[in-house]
Amino acid sequence: MAILKLYGGKQASCTRRVATVLHELNVPFELVEIDVMNGAHKKPEYLKFQPFGQIPYIDDDGFILYETRAICRYIAAKHPKSGLIPTDPKSNALFEQAASVELTNFDPSASKAGLQLWIKKMGYTYPTDDKVIADHLETLEKKLDAYEAILSKQRYVAGETITLADIFHLPYGVYVTYDGSESDNIMNRASRPNVARWYKELVSRPSWLAYLDGVKTTTAY
Amino acid sequence: MPFKIYGFPPSTCTRRVALVCKELNVPYELIPVNIPKGEHKAPEYLKRQPFGVVPAIDDDGFTMFESRPVARYLVAKYGKGSTLVPDPKDIIATAKFEQAVSVENNHFDEPAGELFLQLVIKPMRGLPKDEERVKALLATLNSKLDVYEMVLAKQPYLGGDILTLADLFHLPWLYGLTEKAKLDLVTSRPNVARWYQEISSRPAWQAVKDGA
Repeated sequence: MAILKLYGGKQASCTRRVATVLHELNVPFELVEIDVMNGAHKKPEYLKFQPFGQIPYIDDDGFILYETRAICRYIAAKHPKSGLIPTDPKSNALFEQAASVELTNFDPSASKAGLQLWIKKMGYTYPTDDKVIADHLETLEKKLDAYEAILSKQRYVAGETITLADIFHLPYGVYVTYDGSESDNIMNRASRPNVARWYKELVSRPSWLAYLDGVKTTTAY
Repeated sequence: MPFKIYGFPPSTCTRRVALVCKELNVPYELIPVNIPKGEHKAPEYLKRQPFGVVPAIDDDGFTMFESRPVARYLVAKYGKGSTLVPDPKDIIATAKFEQAVSVENNHFDEPAGELFLQLVIKPMRGLPKDEERVKALLATLNSKLDVYEMVLAKQPYLGGDILTLADLFHLPWLYGLTEKAKLDLVTSRPNVARWYQEISSRPAWQAVKDGA
C-alpha cells in the first residue's frame, strides 16, 4: 500500500485544509510540492490529473481525487468512527446543511478577502486591493451575525460534536483575522462571543497547529 | 403530512428542491415566501433560515435549509433504490460524486449565477448591464465548460457512469442562461450538449423549470 500523496503547496490554503483533515485522522501522507510560481499546475502533465489547473489533488494508492472538500470527505469516509461525517440520518442532514452554509455563506467572501490578506501578511509581491478586501469583509461580518445566532444554540456548526463542516472553515477563517488584532478581529468580536468561542476552539486543535509553518510530509503521529 | 417547501416559485434554489421532489415522486406543498415584499428578511422567516434566503423545508417537523443538502436529505429519506446519490458503502463512487458536487459549487455556480444576474435580472429591473463584468464572467464560465467538455468526453455524467444530483444541480442556472439569457454554451461542445440535452429533458425538470 503506497503512502497517500498530496500534490500541492506547502503554504497553499487548500493544501492546508486537506493536511488538517489528514492530521485529524492520523493518516500518513507525503507532500509533493508543485511549482506553482512557475506555472507547473497549468502544464499538460498536471492537467491530466487536475483538469481545472488548481492545487491540490491526491493520489491514494492510484486513486486520483481533487476538490479539497471531496478529498476531506473521502478520507473521513475511510475513518467512519471519527464522527467527522455523522451517519445518523438527521445528524447527517444537519451536517450537510452546515457544510453547504460554509460553501455558500462563508467561503465566497472569506476566501477572497482571506487570500489577499494572506498575500499581504506573507509579503508576496502579488497585487492586492484594499477595497476588495474591505467589501468582502463587510459581507462576511453580516454572515457571521447569522453564525452567531446558530452557534448560540449549539457548540459546533452542525450540532454538538465537531465535524468536517467546522474544519472546512480553515484556513480562510484564520486568514481573515489578519485584518485586525488578536483580541479584536472579524472572528473574535465582543459582539459575537459564540463565534469567538467556536473559532478559538478550532484553531487550538493539534491538526491546525501542526502545519503553522507550512504543510510537510507526515509519516508518524 | 406533506413535505413543505418555504420558497418562491421562480427562485433557482426553490426549483432545485422541487426538481428532486419530482424525481423521487415526493409530493410537496409550496408555501410562498414573498421575495419582492422582503418576506425572506422578516424575523419570522429568519427563524427558519438565518441567512434570509429561500428555500427552507419542513418535513413533518424536521426543518432544514440549503437546497443541495435538502436534495441529499430527500434522496436519503425517500429515494430507496435511487442512484442519485451513490451508496456510501462505495467509497470510490462516493468520492467521485463529491468531487463532481464540489466542481458544480466551486467552478460553475458563482459565474453562472452572476451572469444570470447581469444578463437577465438587471435588465428586468431596468438596471444597466456591466459589460466589462459580463465579459470577464463569460471568459470564466467558458473556460470551466471547456473542462466539462473534456471530462464528459470520457464519461457520460460528471460523477462517472451514473446520473447523480451533481448533474441535476446544474439545471436551474444552465436553463436560465441558455433559455432566458440566450447564451450559446453548448454548440461548440458536443459532449456538454449531449449531457445538457439529456438532463434538461427529464420529466422532473420539465415539470418545474418555469416555477416550482
